[in-house]
Amino acid sequence: MTAHHTEGWVRYSIGSFSLESQWTVAAAQVMVLFGASGAGKSTMLRLVAGLACPASGRIEIGGQVVYDSATGVWLPAHRRRVGYLTQQYHLFPHLSVGQNIGYGLGALPRAERQERVRQWLAIFHLDGMDRRRPWELSGGQRQRVALARALAPGPDLLLLDEPFSSLDAELRRILRGELRSMLAQRGIPVILVTHDREEALAVGDWVQVMDQGRDVADGTPLEVLGQPGQGRVARLVGVENLLDLTVESRNSIDGTMFCTGGGLRLEVPLDEPATAGEPQAGELLTGPAVSGDRVRVGIRASDIILAEDDPRGMSARNRIQGTVAAVEARPPGYTVTLDCGLPLQCHITGASLAEMGITPGRRLWAVFKASSCFLVQD
Amino acid sequence: MRTLGATGAVLGGGAGLIYALFIGVPVIALLVKSAEQGGLLESLSGDFAVTALKLSLITSAIAMVLVILVGTPFAYLLARSDSLLLRLVDSLVELPIVLPPVVAGVAMLMTFGRQGILGPHLAGLGINLPFTAAAVVCAQIFVAAPFFVRSAKIGFQSVAQEYEDISQTLGASPISTFLRLTLPLAGPSMIAGLALAWARAISEFGATMMFAGNLTGKTQTLPLAIMTALQSDLTEALALSVLLMAGAVLVLVALGLATRRHWQGRV
Repeated sequence: MTAHHTEGWVRYSIGSFSLESQWTVAAAQVMVLFGASGAGKSTMLRLVAGLACPASGRIEIGGQVVYDSATGVWLPAHRRRVGYLTQQYHLFPHLSVGQNIGYGLGALPRAERQERVRQWLAIFHLDGMDRRRPWELSGGQRQRVALARALAPGPDLLLLDEPFSSLDAELRRILRGELRSMLAQRGIPVILVTHDREEALAVGDWVQVMDQGRDVADGTPLEVLGQPGQGRVARLVGVENLLDLTVESRNSIDGTMFCTGGGLRLEVPLDEPATAGEPQAGELLTGPAVSGDRVRVGIRASDIILAEDDPRGMSARNRIQGTVAAVEARPPGYTVTLDCGLPLQCHITGASLAEMGITPGRRLWAVFKASSCFLVQD
Repeated sequence: MRTLGATGAVLGGGAGLIYALFIGVPVIALLVKSAEQGGLLESLSGDFAVTALKLSLITSAIAMVLVILVGTPFAYLLARSDSLLLRLVDSLVELPIVLPPVVAGVAMLMTFGRQGILGPHLAGLGINLPFTAAAVVCAQIFVAAPFFVRSAKIGFQSVAQEYEDISQTLGASPISTFLRLTLPLAGPSMIAGLALAWARAISEFGATMMFAGNLTGKTQTLPLAIMTALQSDLTEALALSVLLMAGAVLVLVALGLATRRHWQGRV
């Protein structure tokens, strides 16, 4: 198997939007390019594919330099050996399923091409659908045909632009699995664009967060999306509660510290480096937080439990009383904003909302573990 | 379908009937009068008719080939570019559709005529355009090309950029992508535009009259022949009219067939 691998950096600007990014993806690895819409993720894919030209940069795909502004190398898209999948799949409507899959195999003799198409149909459980028309297929089948079409010419890199977003949850799970096993077999690196945190956690080996055309964070999915270390990233990955508090005292035996602000007093983990090994330069310089230091604490809305009465005999370290300020629908559940001096957002299900009869003005308790809180740098 | 009120049905139905009669009665009158007259086939096989028919077919065919060759890449550029200059050009493209053909003829004379701005220079090179078959082709292109360009542009616009992007990542060069993907997808629209342009070219009268004249065997196309015949031989005029109308009906049928592709609306 050839050592597939891609790396590079690009600078690009159009109008007032500018983009600057770099990446490295090893064989059979999935790099998730994560960010809100308009962050420049899709533009990045187009630059890598050769469908748009960077202002400067260097792009290496499958051991070949396809673009280098320093030496003037430029391979057009049709010579880059890149598979590209769009959100809407864009199956060619004037061609059958088989012709779609065989589109990139034009150089092969007819018989061999048909044999290859037949193999791809089998791999993606599309046997007998050779002559179907794209609009006769279900969403999942379309996705498989699009993937087969992209993989058939044997690309050195796969670019996926929100490939699962128009499918239901069950299909997503199945197709993600198929994609992963396909990649493991063929050793193709993947850059996958998404703004869906669950998707990034499910398929990513590595996550790179993009915001306004810049790389703002990267790491394993759990590092970046689980408990993001930066305020900007925290907002992007949807951490609903970011509280600015002051350190009151450290409790090194339990590995926690107390922080106050806006009438709240929370117990949160100590600001030790989350990962083992050498501390980062920045962490050494700032040192551990001491009493009186300002810290920013993040808590996910889904990590907070609401209770009617003051809950006693619980292991959770934080119990805070507040007044319901707002209830908003957030399908499939609801977001309850509890005014505890500072506003706290909590996610609950429709059943909980109905059973507890939560309406604005109710007094409720918010309960969460110290370990659900994490420190965020800005 | 929404239900019309009774008043709406009466009003709409009445208006529709009046409209249908207004178009239908002259068409029927033409057929009835032609039948009364008799001898249509003899007239059509006469030298006068055959010459005009031949000239019309040849000039319009040449005009359409040129319209396709130049209009297709131009329409593609209009569809894909968003430059300000091209948008200006775009609105200029449709001018001949609203311009009276006679005015178009005068404008062409002022360009290529003896007193025109290019005419004398071309004459110096031995090229005399006015009152030749080439002038007939020019007049037809001038009035008919916009119908093709407009329709082809809409056809190209309906092909999402992503299709072409994907085609290229699958190894197809831009030209191959255009031939294998864009052209087939925009095809129905282009054929529809071509049919309209051809119908317009065949029926061209005003600009041809001004710029090419009415010379039998040289510039006298079918519409001009009808006008000439009407002054001397009603049978001849009726025969040619029926012929042109039959051609027009054929164009309508072809339009209906060309624009009904199975993937229509599913792109």
